Amino acid sequence: MKSSLPSKILYSSGVIFDVARWVILIAVILALVNTFWLTLFFVDGVSMETNMHDGELALLQKNGYAGKSEPARGDIVVVQYPGDPEHRRYVKRVVGLPGEALSVSAGRVLVNNKEIDEDYLPVDVTTEPAGSWTIGPNEYFLMGDNRFASNDSRYFGSVEKRFFLGKVLAVVFPRLRSADDL
Amino acid sequence: MEGVLVETKYKKSGIFGFYRRKAIFFAIVLAAGFLGWRGLTGNLFLADRNATLTSTISQEAAILVTVDHSGQIFINGKRSGKRVSALSDYDEVRLPVVDESGQYYDRVVITLKLPAAVAYETEHELLVIHGVDNSRSYTSDGSTIVYEANGVSGYATLSIVAKLPKGYIDFPLTEKAKQVLLRIQANVWVGIAIALPLLTLIFMLLFILRQRRSGRIDLPGEEITAPPMLIPPAIVGVLMNQHVRAREVAATLVDLAVRGDIVILDRDRDFAFGKGRFDQRLLGYEKILLTKIFRESLSSDRLEIEKRINNHFYSKKISLVSAGVYAVATRLGYFKVNPQRLFAQYRLIGILAFLVGAGGFALSLLYMAQPPYIIFFWAGMMISALVVAFSASSIPIRTPLGRETMSNWLAFKRYLSSAEPIPYSENLPRIFEKYLPYAIVMDCEAAWARRFIEHNFTLPGWFLTDKSGLGLDDFCLSLFPIISYVSRSLVALREPGFE
Repeated sequence: MKSSLPSKILYSSGVIFDVARWVILIAVILALVNTFWLTLFFVDGVSMETNMHDGELALLQKNGYAGKSEPARGDIVVVQYPGDPEHRRYVKRVVGLPGEALSVSAGRVLVNNKEIDEDYLPVDVTTEPAGSWTIGPNEYFLMGDNRFASNDSRYFGSVEKRFFLGKVLAVVFPRLRSADDL
Repeated sequence: MEGVLVETKYKKSGIFGFYRRKAIFFAIVLAAGFLGWRGLTGNLFLADRNATLTSTISQEAAILVTVDHSGQIFINGKRSGKRVSALSDYDEVRLPVVDESGQYYDRVVITLKLPAAVAYETEHELLVIHGVDNSRSYTSDGSTIVYEANGVSGYATLSIVAKLPKGYIDFPLTEKAKQVLLRIQANVWVGIAIALPLLTLIFMLLFILRQRRSGRIDLPGEEITAPPMLIPPAIVGVLMNQHVRAREVAATLVDLAVRGDIVILDRDRDFAFGKGRFDQRLLGYEKILLTKIFRESLSSDRLEIEKRINNHFYSKKISLVSAGVYAVATRLGYFKVNPQRLFAQYRLIGILAFLVGAGGFALSLLYMAQPPYIIFFWAGMMISALVVAFSASSIPIRTPLGRETMSNWLAFKRYLSSAEPIPYSENLPRIFEKYLPYAIVMDCEAAWARRFIEHNFTLPGWFLTDKSGLGLDDFCLSLFPIISYVSRSLVALREPGFE
């Protein structure tokens, strides 16, 4: 007995639905969480040494700056590189806020001519090269903690908020550390 | 003690019993795990790639980037696959033009040709990383912006940025539609995602309630002490629930035992089914059910049955058993249409909508700009599809004859589940056995057994056990888990798309 095309469609779709529905639903929930709330990512590169290391697994809060909440100085963030938003993402720290005048002088970072307290840096670390920048509205000045080996706002300028992917909450592997301890 | 049948002491063998059904299940879990891992490693936020230097000879490079009226971007006359992005205040060209070329350049000049003379109103900059001595950008004429970089290393990336005033790019229709979708606020999409399944649920509930009201079943005022007609218990079950569930299969097994077609052997922590006298009065679906339990031998023990169950992902025979029950009930005039066929139609609509939703979800995630809030709409569509697929089976489709017959059977159910003990008669054990399949199918086997608790119990001839002095309680606690386990395992094999 040959089965008709509608019967075949019904049968096949029924089997696919039966086998895959829970996998699909779980995948949808995970995708929603991953897209809008929390995601895991591997740290790539050494620009956040000595606080974050190459290959570490970290937790990113994607809606960390949704609505009226704004990045604060000292936050560790993941941003798309403004020159290639599709392919490059950087983990950096927020150093300058919108509207501020930021300068690097004698190895120190000054915001509106006042040196900022960067207690997350090792004591002997200095910041180069010297320069000064005016941060535009809705823009942030970002730097890596490894000031000698970080490609950041000192080279490509301030980053608009629209390129922010989220706020790092913690490093989860190989050793759990909260962002407050980084 | 309603629902004793659900209680079970038999469980499917552990994960080390390797059957095809389990193998497929674990293969799906492994595939999902693998995809999950790939997704996680895809989150590797690659800061920079590592270019391989191909030459250190210094050169000069001149690159022409052209933007046409539709927003397409061409590099040296070739389509780049990129286009101008429409933002709320301006249209933006943001493009890495030299990207870790591996080649050192003394000087790179990128000329951007705009589709109109708007260069003087356009904000522009050249973003450079990884080894560039100096860079600048300037407007050379009304429609041309020039970006220059000197001392460009093989690792460097040069990206041009130009923010064009609105109104000079005429985006194609698909791009405009995409922009409209992207402009819709996230909370609107979330609202749609919540409203869609909610409205579907309300619609289905109202539809079901309306159908129920028009096909109201008169609840019996009095009980009747004998089945209103001689129809098999599975047909009674499907008349009551419009569904062939595990109980209908369990009741059929007990009915076959009562009629002498099979015997049930209860051993310590084990069981088996034996063939009784197979007669010609078996219905088609009963014959198929028996061929699923027995291969060619006279008996089939637990291991044999488990093997026959677990070695299949789905079973055609069990689908045919269900189809047979639905067909008989429909032929008797209890349903307007075959319930299986009607529910299959609704299920098909639900399944197709679910798969379309899943496809839209995946495509939006892959191809829409971040964050693709439209995926909330697709998620809502998938939940709505599930609501349709699962609630359709509650739409009442009984005919007036079906409703009248069901009313009579409800009167008999009142008798089966009454709290009054059955008065003694010589025929007592026979009555208990005879009506037990109906009690099972009407979810009142425990109440039915309780009515006999005060009387001496005689073990039915079709139930063979190695235990002695079995009372009614012990009998129920031995029989129900066996038939519950077998019937639930068998029903799980039903093909989901079978009509």
